[in-house]
Amino acid sequence: MSPVPIFSEKTRRTITGIGAAILVASVTLYLALPVIALFFRTTPELFFSTLSTPEVISALYLSLFTSVVSLGVVILIGTPFAYVHCRNEYPGKMIIDTLIDLPLVLPPAVAGVALLVLWGRTGMLGHYLSLSGISVAFTTLAVIMAQIFVASPFYLRQAKSLFEQLDPAYEQTARTLGASPLRIFALITLPLTANGLISGAVMTFGRALGEFGATIMFAGNLPGVTQTMPLAVYVGMEGNFVVGITISILLVLISFAIMIAVRLLARRETFHA
Amino acid sequence: MLDATIRKKLRDFSLDLTIRARPGEILVLMGENGAGKSTALNIISGLVSPDAGLIELNGSGLFNSGTQIDVPVENRRIGYVLQNSAVFPHLSVRDNIAFGLRARHTSPVLIRERVGHWLKALNIEDLAPVRAGNLSGGQKQRVALARALAIEPALLMLDEPFTALDPDTTRLVKELTRTFVTETSIPCLVVTHRVTDSRDVGDKVCVICQGKKEWEGKPEDTPTCMCHCEDR
Amino acid sequence: MNQSFSTKQIIVTGIVCGLLVLTAFFAGCASSAPAQPVTPAATQAPQTTPQAAGTTAATATPPKPVYTPSSGNIVAFTAASLKGVSTRLASDFEQKYPGEKVVFNLDGTQALKTQVQNGAYADVFISASNSYTAELTKGGYFVNGTVKPLTSNYVIVILPANNPANIQSLADLAKPGVKIAMEDKTVPAGTATVAVLANLANSTYSQDWNTSVFKNVVTYETSEPGVATKVGLGEVDAGFVYESTYTAAPNGTYLAISIPKKDNYLQTYTIGVLNESASQSAASDFENFMLSDSGQQDLKDYGFRPLSSS
Repeated sequence: MSPVPIFSEKTRRTITGIGAAILVASVTLYLALPVIALFFRTTPELFFSTLSTPEVISALYLSLFTSVVSLGVVILIGTPFAYVHCRNEYPGKMIIDTLIDLPLVLPPAVAGVALLVLWGRTGMLGHYLSLSGISVAFTTLAVIMAQIFVASPFYLRQAKSLFEQLDPAYEQTARTLGASPLRIFALITLPLTANGLISGAVMTFGRALGEFGATIMFAGNLPGVTQTMPLAVYVGMEGNFVVGITISILLVLISFAIMIAVRLLARRETFHA
Repeated sequence: MLDATIRKKLRDFSLDLTIRARPGEILVLMGENGAGKSTALNIISGLVSPDAGLIELNGSGLFNSGTQIDVPVENRRIGYVLQNSAVFPHLSVRDNIAFGLRARHTSPVLIRERVGHWLKALNIEDLAPVRAGNLSGGQKQRVALARALAIEPALLMLDEPFTALDPDTTRLVKELTRTFVTETSIPCLVVTHRVTDSRDVGDKVCVICQGKKEWEGKPEDTPTCMCHCEDR
Repeated sequence: MNQSFSTKQIIVTGIVCGLLVLTAFFAGCASSAPAQPVTPAATQAPQTTPQAAGTTAATATPPKPVYTPSSGNIVAFTAASLKGVSTRLASDFEQKYPGEKVVFNLDGTQALKTQVQNGAYADVFISASNSYTAELTKGGYFVNGTVKPLTSNYVIVILPANNPANIQSLADLAKPGVKIAMEDKTVPAGTATVAVLANLANSTYSQDWNTSVFKNVVTYETSEPGVATKVGLGEVDAGFVYESTYTAAPNGTYLAISIPKKDNYLQTYTIGVLNESASQSAASDFENFMLSDSGQQDLKDYGFRPLSSS
């Protein structure tokens, strides 16, 4: 004799549906509401008028400039590095694999301290640099270095994973056809991994743009030179609240713009590799 | 003339083979799965290095463990069609076929001529501008073959070339391979598991079991039981 | 399975829309422009992270705190410059009042003020800035009559022990290429420094000197000990801090150039018991201790200047 269910099929489905709905709604709202709340805390007039103050403009320009440079460096150096790293065996490969992940687990403030004691004026290497008149700490260069340090794992891990998972048959066939490693990398490997690399680049850019702990420790806080948008938000929220909110909203809008751009880019081409 | 003696220790057994194919001859490699047939092709192409051995193609040495010769893959001029064709999905059919020619810095005029020739020969002219990733399995196989033949290789190797093809295309490819190999007088290795294929296209059959040559002879004489047979 | 999909979709959409509508409704009620007073929501995170600042002008009712320690323990939100002396104060307080304990939350006064205004729990508030104290008083955060002057501090210039830029006088601070660390203007020590420099420019050096000094600033730190750290590391050539920081540091950590009293800015610290305190008696005990000879002596030992009259 088969057991009689307590609820009918339809009731069970409805309950599951409601449960799923609540789950989806709570996660969505947990992420969306704080962002929405930002917008409700100011008025459009106030937002736009604050936007044109020198404080905000310089933070905006500095953030975009440094993040773009950091991203550029990471891509230009990181892509060939990830490729060479994946396609070759060499002693210490596993150690380097671990090192690549290190900035992900290291608290950003610790990263900042580490950069300072290495590159600072009295630092291990910085000591020699300053003797030659080169100073690194408290400069825009320091901002870029801090961003590269904390953000590069996002790109490197993505690139490594893509190159590793790419069907080796493509590169092998290209070799038998007589292509040099450089030609293979440029014409076969890169196009077939471009989508994934772009998404890695986006995450890297976002991380660089939002970098705070290492920046404030290693680069300091100087408007126009090292005061990026996150720093300006932090300082602003303790003194000039309106500036803090304005820059926060700005960062939200930039993030959305990036994400939309990426979705559009990714939709253009789809390969089955 | 291909003259290859190769030895390589694999996970479960050791590969120990001598493969000879004369100009214009199609040698069919058969045997159970995992017997080492594809590995042998990879070694001859240069993608994998043997532990020891000697590989000579038309008299010039491609590999010689004694004298430390190891010609890189790019320079061996071997047309190698892998098992799942590996057409470059992001390039057009035309660009796929032209790839090897461009890599060798052939003149654009010559490229256009050769690509046109092979598009026609394999009946894929109207697919020329299509992105290769959008093709069917059989179409991809034809593109891969055209791509390999376009570079005018000194040796042609096909790994299970007929599995994705319909009967008509299979016949076309077999005829083409036969004609091409005879006309250019190059040796050709074909890996297949179907005895009918070996009879249609092969001049000689080599049965490989557990990395060793079990039997060699004419296609029509191929024994029905190939590996792990009681009476051998 | 496909049938329940559309039901699910409807429910999800419904819930999301409903909650968004509710949010918009409450947001509209709560504030449309920053000039309106804001009642922070009841549940807030405890102490450490700075949060959105409530607006200053109107009276806001302090929120009910979520975290309250047990009756004998108190939390003191304290200006960061008391970092060095805090351990001694804690042990002396516990000795004098057995069974009572104090935990210090040390940070820039501006950060602490923001936290309290957004619902962080504290029993006692020690501020380095009269204006921030006034702001909290106006907001009704303090228990009436408990706000008292505590101690004071002058500004001083400190240099790394090896004086890398060879600074011999205040005039040298304007030399091109000198790297100076200062507090951000929202930090009380920062406001003090700005005032000091203005005074010095007016009385002795020139406006050009003042401008040049600011040109040499490489970082505006968010707390006073932050400046001391940068000087201590030798990463900057000079920093503006409180005298107490210099006096309390071990001999030889820094070199110092003092500022003439007439140009200096005397920062007055205040102490007060917060309304939200759940241990009012222990909080008052702590305030009394700080104002007593014992507490004042501790402060004096660590370089703070006792108030001439209390």
